[in-house]
Amino acid sequence: MPEVAPLRGRNVALLAFLLLLLAVWQGVWSLGVLPGYSLPSPAQVGGRLAQLAGDGTLWPSVRASVVRMILGFVLSAVLGLALGLAMGLSPMTDSCLRSLFLGMQTLPSVAWVPIALLLFGLGNAAIYFVIVMSSVAAMAIATADGIAHIPPHYLQAARSLGTSGGALATRVALPAALPGIVTGVKLGWTLGWHGVVSAELIKSSIGLGFLLHAGRELNDAAQVVGIMLVTIFLGLLLDRLLFAWVERRIRVRWGFAAASERG
Amino acid sequence: MTAEAAAGHAAPARITLAGVSKRFVTPRASVDALGPLTLDVREGDFVVLVGPSGCGKTTLLNLVAGFEAPTEGEVRVDGIRVGGPGPDRAMIFQEPALFPWLNVEDNVAFGLRQHGGMSAAERRAVALEYLRLVHLEGFERAFVHELSGGMKQRAAFARALAPRPRALLCDEPFGSLDALTRERLYAELQELHAETRRTTLFVTHNTREAACLADCVVVLTARPARIASALAVELPRPRSFYDPRVSELAGEILTRLRADPSSLPGRRNA
Repeated sequence: MPEVAPLRGRNVALLAFLLLLLAVWQGVWSLGVLPGYSLPSPAQVGGRLAQLAGDGTLWPSVRASVVRMILGFVLSAVLGLALGLAMGLSPMTDSCLRSLFLGMQTLPSVAWVPIALLLFGLGNAAIYFVIVMSSVAAMAIATADGIAHIPPHYLQAARSLGTSGGALATRVALPAALPGIVTGVKLGWTLGWHGVVSAELIKSSIGLGFLLHAGRELNDAAQVVGIMLVTIFLGLLLDRLLFAWVERRIRVRWGFAAASERG
Repeated sequence: MTAEAAAGHAAPARITLAGVSKRFVTPRASVDALGPLTLDVREGDFVVLVGPSGCGKTTLLNLVAGFEAPTEGEVRVDGIRVGGPGPDRAMIFQEPALFPWLNVEDNVAFGLRQHGGMSAAERRAVALEYLRLVHLEGFERAFVHELSGGMKQRAAFARALAPRPRALLCDEPFGSLDALTRERLYAELQELHAETRRTTLFVTHNTREAACLADCVVVLTARPARIASALAVELPRPRSFYDPRVSELAGEILTRLRADPSSLPGRRNA
């Protein structure tokens, strides 16, 4: 079918590109440009990951990171959406919070870790704090912008159809701002994922960040690179699992979808 | 409330602007956009407002819709002062302003939710009735972006009419459509008005459109908009866009527009 062909073509190109990356990596390793203890080969990384998975080290850490991320993210999303809605509906709230949030966004996730440890000690609460502080500002700003950029005619049409107050917020402002909100929530997800791994890197006895840290302590480059790859893969996978459906729905309804993407 | 009960307050409105003026004040400047202006629109009349670009036509509609408050004077609907937007006065914009997160049927049913008491089935029935009225049956489940420009504007008319407003306020609704679609919609809008008899205020700068649709054409001056003259149109309906009497009338409207020394010279939309 003509609509399927370009999609398959793209997938083939992507696969070829990934194989090429792998080949370059293998090539650099084979040439021995870098010492073996700092750059492992793809095979060594694969072997180390299989070992970690086999001896029961990998899975509990993956689960710990994902569970922390989901709890912290839900908390952050609730806060971020509520703050963003308040900013979108009240210019005064917006002008108060926006500069604060823009400032917070310039701070890397890992910079929240020391204060989190001082405030909350060596517990999961410190990790949740880092996740929330890393991601809440981006979600609030994106939600506020989504609401601020609603075409005024939508609101006028709704008002001239007799909609006001709470119904105007829930039946018009929120759905109209949805594309912006989803962008913000996705960005928040990525930033929160940074946050959880950063926090675990410094303080934890389990989790992907902990395994990264342990790998460096043991001079185990294969473990470090392997866990990085797992972190990337999980971040992408969860992003797809959580947001693919709602993004697709928005693209189809709003008409953003290319013909080849429609089901 | 049932569909029949909703129909109970469907009598067309009398719209009165009494000494209305509007001044926009910003920190840098103050602009007299409109008036003072007095206008009385009878129940069920189709009044077309024409005037040079930027003369304050949209401001006039916004005042009647209740989106803006007049600086002086009063806008009244059946003698009651307008204090804000309300479902008795539906607005149609140049952009259809349909909600992309709803399908066509849910868009048309949107205003019916505010009546309260109507079941989902009743709302659906009313929405379908109005979609039939604008010749969009079969597109209930379509998303907004799947409709052509003309179909979108038809759906916007259905959405505005479904809650049975007593007046319809149209701000250049055909301005962004192609000529062919526009001409078809002139015929359909005349039919629609004959069937529903809502008091209609229709803003345009297209004189032939005005001649084709109006019971009465009100010619406005350049900003601040005042009434330069009013013209009762007695031509039989339905009128064709190409009827020579419509062309002749359009010429007359254009002459009156040009007679205003402050209007822009050489307007080409006759």
